[in-house]
Parts: sequence; structure tokens; C-alpha cells
Amino acid sequence: MNNLFSRNRLITFGSVFVLLVIWKLASILAGSSLILPSPEETLATTGRILWSPEFLPDIILTVLRGFTGFAMALGFAVSLGIWAGMAPGVHAALKPVLIAVRSTPVISFILLALIWLRVEQVPVFIAFLTMFPIVCMNVIEGIRSLDPELVEMAKFYRVPVRRIIREVYVPGIAPFLTGGISTAIGFGWRAVIIGEVLSQPRFGIGTLMQNAQTYLMVSELIAWTVIAVLISYVFEMLMRLTERRLIRWKPR
Amino acid sequence: MKLEIKNISKSYPGQKVFRNFSLAFRENAITCILGPSGCGKTTLLNILSGNMTPDSGSSEGFRNRTLSYIFQEPRLLPWKTVSENLLFPVKEIIDEASRQGWIEHYLQLVNLSGKGGLYPYQLSGGMKQRVSMARAFAFPSDVILMDEPFRALDLPLKNNLMQTFLGIWEEHRRTVIAVTHDIDEALYMGHEVIVFSQAPVKLLDRIIPASDKVTAGKPGKEELRKKIIRLLTNGGNSGQEAQQ
Repeated sequence: MNNLFSRNRLITFGSVFVLLVIWKLASILAGSSLILPSPEETLATTGRILWSPEFLPDIILTVLRGFTGFAMALGFAVSLGIWAGMAPGVHAALKPVLIAVRSTPVISFILLALIWLRVEQVPVFIAFLTMFPIVCMNVIEGIRSLDPELVEMAKFYRVPVRRIIREVYVPGIAPFLTGGISTAIGFGWRAVIIGEVLSQPRFGIGTLMQNAQTYLMVSELIAWTVIAVLISYVFEMLMRLTERRLIRWKPR
Repeated sequence: MKLEIKNISKSYPGQKVFRNFSLAFRENAITCILGPSGCGKTTLLNILSGNMTPDSGSSEGFRNRTLSYIFQEPRLLPWKTVSENLLFPVKEIIDEASRQGWIEHYLQLVNLSGKGGLYPYQLSGGMKQRVSMARAFAFPSDVILMDEPFRALDLPLKNNLMQTFLGIWEEHRRTVIAVTHDIDEALYMGHEVIVFSQAPVKLLDRIIPASDKVTAGKPGKEELRKKIIRLLTNGGNSGQEAQQ
């Protein structure tokens, strides 16, 4: 049986089909597209939004906010994570910060950020705070699980410290890093949109979702949700491709 | 300058490994240090390499020489190909133009020509140990330290790798200090076999065969083997603590 029609794929398609049928039945039962629009109506609205150039700035700016928060989180998480992984003292100091940030409800950060920052900065800040502890903890875990004998070998051969970090530590943590990034992107992407919903920047998917909710445009609200899921899926795929390229050395 | 350790003492909590111990090593020869497990052979290598400081005493002649290593496990970087692993310790030493030829030469010596593009997970245990050997010889060292590199291997593979090692050594002669607890391995490889007692280490004997190399099946090997077993069984009652 070829890959497209493998058993598991058929089960996945079947599951999606069942969900669509349930949705359709629920929309018929609801009796009004103001409460729950049908799947085909939502699909048409999604298509209209995707094909309409006026929404491009909203999509681009939301992605950019997410990407900026992600880049900041990655930079801090990798450098601090490597440092904390190598120095137990730094880890002891960083651990309570990471646990506190990870355990604090996102809404608390958003409410504080609304007081402290400009509306444009709120989603970026929230994305950063959501992604940073996840990636950082994974980097620390990666450093700690790195085979110490490899580092010892590099030191025995007097390889310069800079190269040991670049060629031993960094590739060694790559599987943990990509795993962490994958999880962080999922959480971070949702956090960016929540941040936009509450901070209401001029352009942004979250702003449009909030507007759709205010004016009871349920079809648009669900359409934007579908678009957010699709963008997140694209990022997930890109991440998997990057992972495959980066970690060619592992048996599959 | 001679390669030697002088009046070394080293203790771990609850165990004295060396007490005022001295030993000199033959240059451009393979010295096998034989002793029971846990007697302090690896500690000696760590002191020679400078990765461990003795409580007192000194190692002489090692600081101004470059060292390379063959460990018990191959210690290859899993994310680097065979060629990249060979290149890893020598990047600062070998210029870019000669790297390819350099790698090819050493891969050929360990019978791994054409395998430079493979990752460690694509190699067998024996092949990985060959890469580790090639890396040790490809590094322009004066001394090679070996820490039971054939320990975890089955007999045919062990013999094969020892032959490969001796083959490369013939072409690129270096001072080799190898620790092992395997009598046959020491007699097969060593130009000189130094027998250690249990810790605190006493030098039980230095076996320097009449010919340059003791080889398997050569007359006298069995007598030497019996002698070493006797020495190790007696536990160094007749050994001396320091060798001048």
C-alpha cells in the first residue's frame, strides 16, 4: 500500500471527516450562522480572507511579532542555557526564574505588559516570556545529557574552548533544542494572538479576531482561527525540515 | 628529556594509589602497563596527560611533548562524519589544502578508505575503534596514551585491531604507553611490559624481551605469561615500590 493510502493516513482522514460531519450537524442544529456557521461557509470565509490583499499586513505583522519574540527567546535561552548547563551555580540562580516564568499565567504577564509597554510591544514580550523558559530548560537538559567523555576527549586533544562550544556543545544540544523550539513555537504562537486580542495593536490576527467577536462575525472568527492553525502548522513543518537537516547524524 | 615520573604519590579518599612511585618509559617503543583492574593504571595515564595532578612528585618530559589518545570507547562525535572526526583535533594544525590528503592517508592506514563520509552510527564497533586509532595517529603527537582500547571487543576483532595498530605504528613510530589488564594483549603489543601490583602500586617487574617485539606464538611467550600470572597472583610480595 503506498504512503498516501497507508492505514494510519486513512484513519487520520477519517477522523477529520467525522469532525467535519459533527461540525456540520451542530451548525444545522444551531440554526443560525451567527451562532455556528457551517464548515463550507467557514471555508469560503477563510478563502476570501487568504485571497484578499487587505489582510496581508495583519498576517505579516502577527508573524513578525511571533518571530521577533522567538528570536529574542532563542538568543537568550541558548546562551543562558549553555552557561547554566556548564556552571551549576548559574543553573541554581536561573532555576527559580525559569520555574516562576513558566508557571505564571500568561494573562498576568499580558495585564502587566499592558501597563508597562506600548501595545505593539505586548505580543512580542508575551511571546518571549512564553518561549524562553521552555527553550532554556531544554538547552540545559541537552548540556547535562551530553556525554562528558566527548568533552573530555576534546580537552585531552587541547581543542580551543571556542571550538568545543561550537562543535561539541552546540551540536550535542541540537536534538533538545529543536524539541524545545517545536514546543515553544506552539505555545508562543498562541500567546502572540492572545496578546494581540488584549492589547489591540492596529494590525494583527488577534485584533481582527477580537473585532469579529465584537461584531458577532462568528464565521470570520473561526476563519481567523483556522488561518492561525495553518500558519502554526507551516512553522511546525519548517521546524521539522530544519531538524532533519540539522540532525542527519542520528539513525532514523 | 627522558619520559618519566618521579616520586609520585596519589590518593583518593580511602585509597592510596601511588606512594613515592617512579618509573621511566622507553621512547619510540610500545610500553604496556599491565595490572589488575582498579590498581591505578588509568590514574597514571591521567597524571601523564596532565589531566590529574599528583599529590606530590612530578612527571617529566610530557609537558613539552604533544600527546594523543586512544580511549576504551572510541569517543567519536556522533554529529561529525568519520573525516570530520579525524579533522577535529587537528584543525588548527593542518592547513586546509592538505586536509583531504591527510584524512585519506590515515583512513587508508586503518582500512577505512572511502568511509570518510559515514557517520559513527553507520559504523561497527571495530570500525569506530579504527577511526579512534586513526585520529590518534593523525594528530601529530610525540606520545600516544592508550587506555584499554580493546577491552570490550571479542577476540578475533581484538587481534585484527591490534594488528592494524602495530601496522600503523611501524609506519608512524611514536612512544606508546598503553594500559591493559589483558596479559596476552600486553605480550602481543608491547616492546616492554611493566607489571603493576594492586594499589598502592608496586612495580612487580619490567619484562623486556630479547627481541624488539614479543609476538603471539613466539617461543617464550607462554613462560612470560606464566611468570606474569605468578606475579599478579602473589600480589607483589616481592615487588619494589620505586624503580629508578
